[in-house]
Amino acid sequence: MREAVLDADARAVWASLGRSGVLSRDRPAEVLRSLLPSLDAQYSLGIVLSVCVQIATALPILRSHGPSGVVGRVSAEAARGEVVLALAATDAGAAGSDLMDLTTSARLSEDRVVVDGGKRWITNAVTADCALVLARHRPQRHFTSFLWVLVPLDAPGVTRESAGSLFSGAGVGHLTFSGVSVGRDHVVGAPGRGLAMFARHVATERLAGALWASALCRRVLADTRRVLAARPLGSGVAWDNAVVRDRFARGLVEARRVEALCSSFREGELVDSMVVKVAVAESVDRVLAVCAELLGAESFADGGVAGLRAEAAMFGVAGGASGALLAGVADHADYLLGGAR
Amino acid sequence: MDSRFADMLRPFLKYAGGAEITLESSLRDLGLDSMQAIELLFAIEDTYQVSLPDELLTDTTFATAGSLWAAISGARQC
Ligand SMILES: Cc1cc2nc3c(=O)[nH]c(=O)nc-3n(C[C@H](O)[C@H](O)[C@H](O)COP(=O)(O)OP(=O)(O)OC[C@H]3O[C@@H](n4cnc5c(N)ncnc54)[C@H](O)[C@@H]3O)c2cc1C
Repeated sequence: MREAVLDADARAVWASLGRSGVLSRDRPAEVLRSLLPSLDAQYSLGIVLSVCVQIATALPILRSHGPSGVVGRVSAEAARGEVVLALAATDAGAAGSDLMDLTTSARLSEDRVVVDGGKRWITNAVTADCALVLARHRPQRHFTSFLWVLVPLDAPGVTRESAGSLFSGAGVGHLTFSGVSVGRDHVVGAPGRGLAMFARHVATERLAGALWASALCRRVLADTRRVLAARPLGSGVAWDNAVVRDRFARGLVEARRVEALCSSFREGELVDSMVVKVAVAESVDRVLAVCAELLGAESFADGGVAGLRAEAAMFGVAGGASGALLAGVADHADYLLGGAR
Repeated sequence: MDSRFADMLRPFLKYAGGAEITLESSLRDLGLDSMQAIELLFAIEDTYQVSLPDELLTDTTFATAGSLWAAISGARQC
Protein backbone atom coordinates (compact mmCIF):
# COMPACT_ATOMS: atom_id res chain seq x y z
CA MET A 1 0.00 0.00 0.00
CA ARG A 2 2.80 2.44 0.86
CA GLU A 3 4.46 1.83 -2.50
CA ALA A 4 1.36 3.09 -4.30
CA VAL A 5 1.41 6.38 -2.47
CA LEU A 6 5.16 6.93 -2.65
CA ASP A 7 4.57 8.35 -6.12
CA ALA A 8 1.75 10.66 -5.06
CA ASP A 9 2.17 14.29 -6.03
CA ALA A 10 2.74 16.76 -3.20
CA ARG A 11 0.77 19.42 -5.09
CA ALA A 12 -2.26 17.12 -5.36
CA VAL A 13 -2.04 16.31 -1.65
CA TRP A 14 -1.82 20.01 -0.81
CA ALA A 15 -4.78 20.81 -3.08
CA SER A 16 -6.93 18.15 -1.48
CA LEU A 17 -6.06 19.41 2.02
CA GLY A 18 -7.00 22.90 0.84
CA ARG A 19 -10.35 21.70 -0.49
CA SER A 20 -11.09 20.00 2.83
CA GLY A 21 -10.84 23.39 4.58
CA VAL A 22 -8.23 22.22 7.07
CA LEU A 23 -5.60 24.71 5.85
CA SER A 24 -7.85 27.66 6.68
CA ARG A 25 -7.76 26.93 10.41
CA ASP A 26 -5.47 29.28 12.25
CA ARG A 27 -4.13 26.87 14.93
CA PRO A 28 -1.34 25.13 13.02
CA ALA A 29 -0.20 23.03 15.98
CA GLU A 30 -3.69 21.55 16.42
CA VAL A 31 -4.08 20.99 12.69
CA LEU A 32 -0.76 19.16 12.57
CA ARG A 33 -1.54 17.12 15.66
CA SER A 34 -4.65 15.74 13.99
CA LEU A 35 -3.24 15.43 10.45
CA LEU A 36 0.25 14.01 10.90
CA PRO A 37 -0.55 10.40 11.80
CA SER A 38 -2.71 9.96 8.71
CA LEU A 39 -0.30 11.87 6.45
CA ASP A 40 2.57 9.72 7.69
CA ALA A 41 0.56 6.54 7.17
CA GLN A 42 -0.37 7.45 3.60
CA TYR A 43 2.52 9.32 2.04
CA SER A 44 6.28 9.26 1.60
CA LEU A 45 8.52 11.27 3.93
CA GLY A 46 9.10 13.83 1.16
CA ILE A 47 5.40 14.58 0.72
CA VAL A 48 4.82 14.90 4.46
CA LEU A 49 7.79 17.27 4.61
CA SER A 50 6.32 19.37 1.81
CA VAL A 51 2.99 19.71 3.64
CA CYS A 52 4.52 20.20 7.08
CA VAL A 53 6.71 23.15 6.14
CA GLN A 54 3.74 24.93 4.64
CA ILE A 55 1.30 24.34 7.51
CA ALA A 56 3.77 24.93 10.34
CA THR A 57 5.69 27.93 9.08
CA ALA A 58 4.97 29.32 5.60
CA LEU A 59 1.20 29.75 5.96
CA PRO A 60 1.35 31.20 9.51
CA ILE A 61 3.96 33.77 8.43
CA LEU A 62 1.85 34.77 5.43
CA ARG A 63 -1.28 34.87 7.55
CA SER A 64 0.36 37.14 10.13
CA HIS A 65 0.48 39.81 7.41
CA GLY A 66 -3.31 40.08 7.38
CA PRO A 67 -5.72 39.76 4.47
CA SER A 68 -4.73 42.87 2.52
CA GLY A 69 -2.94 43.21 -0.82
CA VAL A 70 -1.04 40.65 -2.82
CA VAL A 71 0.27 38.87 0.30
CA GLY A 72 -3.26 38.49 1.66
CA ARG A 73 -4.46 37.17 -1.70
CA VAL A 74 -1.66 34.57 -1.96
CA SER A 75 -2.24 33.59 1.66
CA ALA A 76 -5.93 32.88 0.89
CA GLU A 77 -5.01 30.96 -2.27
CA ALA A 78 -2.47 28.87 -0.36
CA ALA A 79 -5.05 28.12 2.33
CA ARG A 80 -7.37 26.84 -0.40
CA GLY A 81 -4.54 24.59 -1.61
CA GLU A 82 -4.30 26.43 -4.94
CA VAL A 83 -0.81 27.84 -4.37
CA VAL A 84 2.20 25.83 -3.15
CA LEU A 85 4.66 27.71 -0.94
CA ALA A 86 8.34 27.38 -0.14
CA LEU A 87 9.93 28.94 2.91
CA ALA A 88 13.44 30.01 1.99
CA ALA A 89 15.58 30.90 5.00
CA THR A 90 18.76 28.79 4.63
CA ASP A 91 21.14 30.97 2.67
CA ALA A 92 23.69 30.20 -0.02
CA GLY A 93 26.03 32.73 1.58
CA ALA A 94 26.06 31.52 5.19
CA ALA A 95 25.74 28.46 7.42
CA GLY A 96 22.11 27.50 7.90
CA SER A 97 22.65 27.67 11.65
CA ASP A 98 23.75 31.27 11.37
CA LEU A 99 20.89 33.24 9.83
CA MET A 100 22.32 36.49 11.22
CA ASP A 101 25.08 36.31 8.57
CA LEU A 102 22.85 35.56 5.60
CA THR A 103 23.76 37.53 2.50
CA THR A 104 20.63 37.44 0.32
CA SER A 105 19.67 41.09 0.04
CA ALA A 106 16.42 42.97 -0.43
CA ARG A 107 16.89 46.52 -1.69
CA LEU A 108 13.83 48.57 -0.83
CA SER A 109 12.73 51.57 -2.84
CA GLU A 110 9.47 53.46 -2.60
CA ASP A 111 7.53 50.97 -4.69
CA ARG A 112 9.86 48.00 -5.42
CA VAL A 113 11.96 45.36 -3.69
CA VAL A 114 14.93 43.92 -5.54
CA VAL A 115 16.20 40.55 -4.32
CA ASP A 116 19.72 39.21 -5.00
CA GLY A 117 21.35 36.09 -3.62
CA GLY A 118 20.53 32.45 -3.16
CA LYS A 119 18.85 29.91 -0.91
CA ARG A 120 19.77 26.24 -0.61
CA TRP A 121 18.14 23.05 0.59
CA ILE A 122 14.66 24.51 0.41
CA THR A 123 11.64 22.21 0.58
CA ASN A 124 9.26 22.75 -2.37
CA ALA A 125 11.89 24.90 -4.14
CA VAL A 126 11.41 23.09 -7.45
CA THR A 127 7.63 22.74 -7.20
CA ALA A 128 6.32 25.85 -5.41
CA ASP A 129 4.51 28.77 -7.03
CA CYS A 130 5.90 31.32 -4.56
CA ALA A 131 8.69 31.45 -2.02
CA LEU A 132 8.81 33.40 1.18
CA VAL A 133 12.39 34.61 1.14
CA LEU A 134 14.24 35.77 4.24
CA ALA A 135 16.50 38.61 3.14
CA ARG A 136 18.67 41.35 4.60
CA HIS A 137 17.51 44.93 4.03
CA ARG A 138 20.17 46.48 6.27
CA PRO A 139 23.87 45.62 6.69
CA GLN A 140 23.94 45.61 10.52
CA ARG A 141 24.41 42.24 12.20
CA HIS A 142 21.23 42.60 14.22
CA PHE A 143 17.93 40.74 14.32
CA THR A 144 16.11 43.84 13.01
CA SER A 145 18.01 43.79 9.69
CA PHE A 146 15.80 41.19 7.98
CA LEU A 147 12.47 40.96 6.22
CA TRP A 148 10.36 38.39 4.44
CA VAL A 149 9.52 38.98 0.81
CA LEU A 150 7.08 36.93 -1.23
CA VAL A 151 8.69 36.03 -4.56
CA PRO A 152 6.68 34.38 -7.37
CA LEU A 153 9.06 31.69 -8.60
CA ASP A 154 8.27 32.41 -12.26
CA ALA A 155 9.58 35.98 -11.87
CA PRO A 156 12.45 37.01 -14.18
CA GLY A 157 15.82 36.42 -12.47
CA VAL A 158 14.74 33.37 -10.44
CA THR A 159 16.43 30.04 -11.17
CA ARG A 160 15.85 26.75 -9.41
CA GLU A 161 17.77 23.53 -9.26
CA SER A 162 16.94 20.20 -7.66
CA ALA A 163 19.02 19.16 -4.66
CA GLY A 164 19.00 15.49 -5.67
CA SER A 165 16.92 12.35 -5.50
CA LEU A 166 16.45 11.95 -1.74
CA PHE A 167 13.19 13.19 -0.17
CA SER A 168 11.14 12.30 -3.23
CA GLY A 169 8.02 14.46 -3.41
CA ALA A 170 9.45 17.29 -1.30
CA GLY A 171 10.88 19.19 -4.26
CA VAL A 172 13.98 20.07 -2.22
CA GLY A 173 16.25 22.38 -4.17
CA HIS A 174 18.28 25.53 -4.46
CA LEU A 175 17.03 28.96 -5.54
CA THR A 176 19.00 31.80 -7.08
CA PHE A 177 17.78 35.38 -7.28
CA SER A 178 19.44 37.73 -9.70
CA GLY A 179 18.01 41.24 -9.61
CA VAL A 180 14.51 39.88 -8.98
CA SER A 181 12.20 42.88 -8.78
CA VAL A 182 8.75 42.69 -7.18
CA GLY A 183 6.35 45.33 -5.91
CA ARG A 184 6.96 46.67 -2.42
CA ASP A 185 3.57 45.18 -1.53
CA HIS A 186 5.33 41.76 -1.62
CA VAL A 187 7.06 42.52 1.70
CA VAL A 188 5.41 40.31 4.31
CA GLY A 189 4.78 42.08 7.60
CA ALA A 190 7.06 44.91 8.62
CA PRO A 191 10.66 45.20 7.42
CA GLY A 192 12.81 44.54 10.49
CA ARG A 193 10.53 41.83 11.85
CA GLY A 194 11.73 39.00 9.61
CA LEU A 195 13.72 37.06 12.20
CA ALA A 196 11.20 37.78 14.96
CA MET A 197 8.39 36.42 12.78
CA PHE A 198 10.47 33.34 12.07
CA ALA A 199 11.16 32.84 15.78
CA ARG A 200 7.42 33.07 16.51
CA HIS A 201 6.73 30.18 14.18
CA VAL A 202 9.84 28.01 14.25
CA ALA A 203 8.78 26.47 17.57
CA THR A 204 5.60 25.24 15.87
CA GLU A 205 7.71 23.77 13.07
CA ARG A 206 9.72 21.89 15.68
CA LEU A 207 6.57 20.65 17.38
CA ALA A 208 5.38 19.50 13.95
CA GLY A 209 8.64 17.58 13.56
CA ALA A 210 8.16 15.93 16.95
CA LEU A 211 4.53 14.97 16.23
CA TRP A 212 5.52 13.60 12.86
CA ALA A 213 8.45 11.67 14.35
CA SER A 214 6.11 10.21 16.93
CA ALA A 215 3.66 8.97 14.27
CA LEU A 216 6.51 7.64 12.15
CA CYS A 217 8.11 5.70 15.03
CA ARG A 218 4.79 4.16 16.03
CA ARG A 219 4.00 3.11 12.45
CA VAL A 220 7.42 1.60 11.74
CA LEU A 221 7.44 -0.24 15.08
CA ALA A 222 3.96 -1.65 14.42
CA ASP A 223 5.00 -2.81 10.93
CA THR A 224 8.17 -4.36 12.35
CA ARG A 225 6.21 -6.09 15.11
CA ARG A 226 3.90 -7.66 12.51
CA VAL A 227 6.83 -8.94 10.47
CA LEU A 228 8.56 -10.37 13.55
CA ALA A 229 5.39 -12.14 14.63
CA ALA A 230 5.17 -13.89 11.26
CA ARG A 231 8.82 -14.55 10.44
CA PRO A 232 9.93 -18.11 11.17
CA LEU A 233 12.93 -18.39 13.49
CA GLY A 234 14.10 -21.68 14.97
CA SER A 235 11.08 -23.66 16.06
CA GLY A 236 8.85 -20.61 16.29
CA VAL A 237 8.81 -17.01 15.06
CA ALA A 238 11.28 -14.15 15.56
CA TRP A 239 9.01 -12.51 18.13
CA ASP A 240 9.46 -15.52 20.46
CA ASN A 241 13.17 -14.80 20.74
CA ALA A 242 14.17 -12.98 23.93
CA VAL A 243 16.96 -10.97 22.30
CA VAL A 244 14.68 -9.81 19.49
CA ARG A 245 12.02 -8.78 22.01
CA ASP A 246 14.57 -6.90 24.12
CA ARG A 247 15.84 -4.93 21.13
CA PHE A 248 12.31 -4.19 20.01
CA ALA A 249 11.39 -3.05 23.52
CA ARG A 250 14.25 -0.55 23.44
CA GLY A 251 12.77 0.89 20.26
CA LEU A 252 9.40 1.16 21.96
CA VAL A 253 10.93 3.00 24.91
CA GLU A 254 12.50 5.52 22.54
CA ALA A 255 9.17 5.98 20.75
CA ARG A 256 7.43 6.65 24.07
CA ARG A 257 10.12 9.21 24.86
CA VAL A 258 9.18 11.07 21.68
CA GLU A 259 5.47 10.93 22.61
CA ALA A 260 6.21 12.28 26.08
CA LEU A 261 8.23 15.14 24.57
CA CYS A 262 5.28 16.02 22.32
CA SER A 263 2.85 16.21 25.20
CA SER A 264 5.15 18.28 27.40
CA PHE A 265 5.85 20.80 24.63
CA ARG A 266 5.00 24.37 25.65
CA GLU A 267 3.80 26.02 22.47
CA GLY A 268 5.78 29.05 21.38
CA GLU A 269 8.64 28.29 23.82
CA LEU A 270 11.77 28.68 21.74
CA VAL A 271 14.21 27.20 24.25
CA ASP A 272 12.00 24.15 24.86
CA SER A 273 11.69 23.65 21.14
CA MET A 274 15.47 23.33 20.81
CA VAL A 275 15.64 20.69 23.54
CA VAL A 276 12.76 18.74 22.03
CA LYS A 277 14.15 18.87 18.51
CA VAL A 278 17.56 17.49 19.54
CA ALA A 279 15.98 14.71 21.63
CA VAL A 280 13.50 13.73 18.93
CA ALA A 281 16.19 13.50 16.25
CA GLU A 282 18.22 11.14 18.43
CA SER A 283 15.24 8.96 19.35
CA VAL A 284 13.95 8.62 15.77
CA ASP A 285 17.33 7.44 14.64
CA ARG A 286 17.47 4.88 17.44
CA VAL A 287 13.99 3.55 16.66
CA LEU A 288 14.74 3.23 12.95
CA ALA A 289 18.12 1.63 13.67
CA VAL A 290 16.44 -1.01 15.86
CA CYS A 291 13.77 -1.72 13.22
CA ALA A 292 16.28 -1.87 10.37
CA GLU A 293 18.43 -4.31 12.32
CA LEU A 294 15.48 -6.52 13.25
CA LEU A 295 14.13 -6.58 9.70
CA GLY A 296 17.50 -7.57 8.26
CA ALA A 297 17.90 -7.46 4.48
CA GLU A 298 14.18 -6.58 4.08
CA SER A 299 14.93 -3.10 5.34
CA PHE A 300 16.95 -2.38 2.18
CA ALA A 301 14.00 -2.98 -0.17
CA ASP A 302 12.57 0.03 -2.02
CA GLY A 303 10.57 2.05 0.49
CA GLY A 304 12.20 0.06 3.31
CA VAL A 305 13.35 1.18 6.72
CA ALA A 306 17.03 1.59 5.79
CA GLY A 307 16.15 4.19 3.15
CA LEU A 308 13.70 5.84 5.51
CA ARG A 309 16.42 6.05 8.17
CA ALA A 310 18.73 7.87 5.75
CA GLU A 311 16.02 10.44 5.00
CA ALA A 312 14.90 10.68 8.63
CA ALA A 313 18.37 11.92 9.53
CA MET A 314 16.89 15.22 8.36
CA PHE A 315 15.11 15.43 11.75
CA GLY A 316 18.54 16.39 13.08
CA VAL A 317 19.23 18.97 10.37
CA ALA A 318 16.19 20.65 8.74
CA GLY A 319 14.87 23.55 10.78
CA GLY A 320 18.00 23.66 12.97
CA ALA A 321 21.01 21.34 13.11
CA SER A 322 21.38 19.47 16.41
CA GLY A 323 24.90 20.78 17.08
CA ALA A 324 23.82 24.38 16.75
CA LEU A 325 20.72 23.75 18.85
CA LEU A 326 22.85 22.15 21.57
CA ALA A 327 24.95 25.32 21.63
CA GLY A 328 21.69 27.25 22.20
CA VAL A 329 20.58 24.79 24.87
CA ALA A 330 23.88 25.28 26.72
CA ASP A 331 23.44 29.07 26.49
CA HIS A 332 20.14 28.69 28.32
CA ALA A 333 21.37 26.13 30.86
CA ASP A 334 20.45 28.20 33.92
CA TYR A 335 16.97 28.89 32.61
CA LEU A 336 16.43 25.22 31.78
CA LEU A 337 17.53 24.34 35.30
CA GLY A 338 14.82 26.58 36.71
CA GLY A 339 16.75 29.85 37.00
CA ALA A 340 16.55 33.16 35.13
CA ARG A 341 16.66 33.21 31.34
CA MET B 1 12.63 54.24 33.04
CA ASP B 2 10.18 52.43 35.31
CA SER B 3 11.32 49.68 37.66
CA ARG B 4 9.10 47.15 35.90
CA PHE B 5 11.21 47.69 32.77
CA ALA B 6 14.48 47.05 34.62
CA ASP B 7 12.96 43.91 36.14
CA MET B 8 11.87 42.76 32.70
CA LEU B 9 15.34 43.34 31.24
CA ARG B 10 17.33 41.61 33.94
CA PRO B 11 16.58 37.95 33.04
CA PHE B 12 17.78 38.62 29.48
CA LEU B 13 21.12 40.10 30.63
CA LYS B 14 23.28 37.23 31.79
CA TYR B 15 26.21 39.47 32.82
CA ALA B 16 24.11 42.01 34.75
CA GLY B 17 24.31 40.11 38.04
CA GLY B 18 22.88 42.24 40.84
CA ALA B 19 24.23 45.51 39.39
CA GLU B 20 21.85 48.40 38.80
CA ILE B 21 20.54 48.73 35.25
CA THR B 22 20.75 52.36 34.17
CA LEU B 23 19.70 54.25 31.04
CA GLU B 24 23.31 54.03 29.83
CA SER B 25 23.64 50.26 30.33
CA SER B 26 24.77 48.64 27.08
CA LEU B 27 22.46 45.69 26.47
CA ARG B 28 24.95 43.83 24.32
CA ASP B 29 27.75 44.24 26.89
CA LEU B 30 25.40 42.86 29.54
CA GLY B 31 24.87 39.73 27.45
CA LEU B 32 21.80 40.32 25.25
CA ASP B 33 22.30 37.97 22.27
CA SER B 34 20.22 38.00 19.12
CA MET B 35 17.83 35.24 20.12
CA GLN B 36 17.24 36.83 23.50
CA ALA B 37 16.75 40.23 21.86
CA ILE B 38 13.87 38.71 19.87
CA GLU B 39 12.36 37.26 23.03
CA LEU B 40 12.81 40.62 24.75
CA LEU B 41 10.92 42.30 21.90
CA PHE B 42 8.04 39.85 22.42
CA ALA B 43 8.10 40.46 26.19
CA ILE B 44 8.02 44.24 25.71
CA GLU B 45 5.17 44.11 23.22
CA ASP B 46 3.15 41.78 25.47
CA THR B 47 3.81 43.65 28.71
CA TYR B 48 3.32 47.19 27.44
CA GLN B 49 0.72 46.28 24.80
CA VAL B 50 2.64 48.23 22.17
CA SER B 51 4.01 47.46 18.76
CA LEU B 52 7.35 49.12 18.10
CA PRO B 53 7.00 51.08 14.85
CA ASP B 54 8.97 49.94 11.80
CA GLU B 55 11.39 52.87 11.90
CA LEU B 56 12.40 51.99 15.48
CA LEU B 57 13.18 48.36 14.68
CA THR B 58 16.93 48.99 14.46
CA ASP B 59 20.12 48.02 16.26
CA THR B 60 20.36 51.51 17.80
CA THR B 61 16.98 51.09 19.51
CA PHE B 62 18.33 47.94 21.20
CA ALA B 63 21.74 49.51 22.05
CA THR B 64 21.09 50.65 25.63
CA ALA B 65 18.37 50.33 28.25
CA GLY B 66 17.70 54.05 27.70
CA SER B 67 17.31 53.85 23.92
CA LEU B 68 14.96 50.90 24.26
CA TRP B 69 12.96 52.62 26.99
CA ALA B 70 12.66 55.75 24.81
CA ALA B 71 11.24 53.63 21.98
CA ILE B 72 8.71 52.00 24.30
CA SER B 73 7.68 55.36 25.77
CA GLY B 74 7.24 56.80 22.28
CA ALA B 75 5.17 53.83 21.15
CA ARG B 76 2.95 54.04 24.24
CA GLN B 77 2.06 57.64 23.45
CA CYS B 78 0.91 56.80 19.92
C1 LIG C 1 15.44 17.75 3.86
C2 LIG C 1 15.76 19.16 4.19
C3 LIG C 1 14.78 20.13 4.01
C4 LIG C 1 15.07 21.47 4.30
N1 LIG C 1 14.09 22.40 4.08
C5 LIG C 1 14.37 23.71 4.32
C6 LIG C 1 13.38 24.71 4.04
O1 LIG C 1 12.26 24.43 3.61
N2 LIG C 1 13.70 26.01 4.27
C7 LIG C 1 14.92 26.38 4.74
O2 LIG C 1 15.15 27.57 4.90
N3 LIG C 1 15.89 25.45 4.99
C8 LIG C 1 15.65 24.13 4.80
N4 LIG C 1 16.61 23.18 5.03
C9 LIG C 1 17.93 23.60 5.46
C10 LIG C 1 18.16 23.39 6.95
O3 LIG C 1 17.33 24.23 7.73
C11 LIG C 1 19.65 23.62 7.21
O4 LIG C 1 20.33 22.55 6.59
C12 LIG C 1 19.98 23.67 8.69
O5 LIG C 1 19.56 24.89 9.25
C13 LIG C 1 21.48 23.51 8.95
O6 LIG C 1 22.23 24.35 8.16
P1 LIG C 1 23.47 23.82 7.29
O7 LIG C 1 23.03 22.64 6.53
O8 LIG C 1 24.02 24.98 6.56
O9 LIG C 1 24.51 23.30 8.35
P2 LIG C 1 25.47 24.19 9.25
O10 LIG C 1 24.69 25.25 9.94
O11 LIG C 1 26.64 24.60 8.44
O12 LIG C 1 25.91 23.12 10.31
C14 LIG C 1 26.85 22.08 9.98
C15 LIG C 1 27.24 21.36 11.26
O13 LIG C 1 27.82 22.28 12.18
C16 LIG C 1 27.13 22.24 13.41
N5 LIG C 1 27.05 23.59 13.98
C17 LIG C 1 26.62 24.71 13.36
N6 LIG C 1 26.64 25.74 14.22
C18 LIG C 1 27.08 25.26 15.40
C19 LIG C 1 27.32 25.84 16.68
N7 LIG C 1 27.09 27.14 16.92
N8 LIG C 1 27.78 25.05 17.64
C20 LIG C 1 28.00 23.73 17.42
N9 LIG C 1 27.79 23.13 16.23
C21 LIG C 1 27.34 23.88 15.25
C22 LIG C 1 25.73 21.71 13.06
O14 LIG C 1 25.13 21.07 14.16
C23 LIG C 1 26.04 20.74 11.98
O15 LIG C 1 26.44 19.52 12.52
C24 LIG C 1 16.35 21.83 4.77
C25 LIG C 1 17.32 20.85 4.98
C26 LIG C 1 17.04 19.52 4.69
C27 LIG C 1 18.10 18.50 4.91
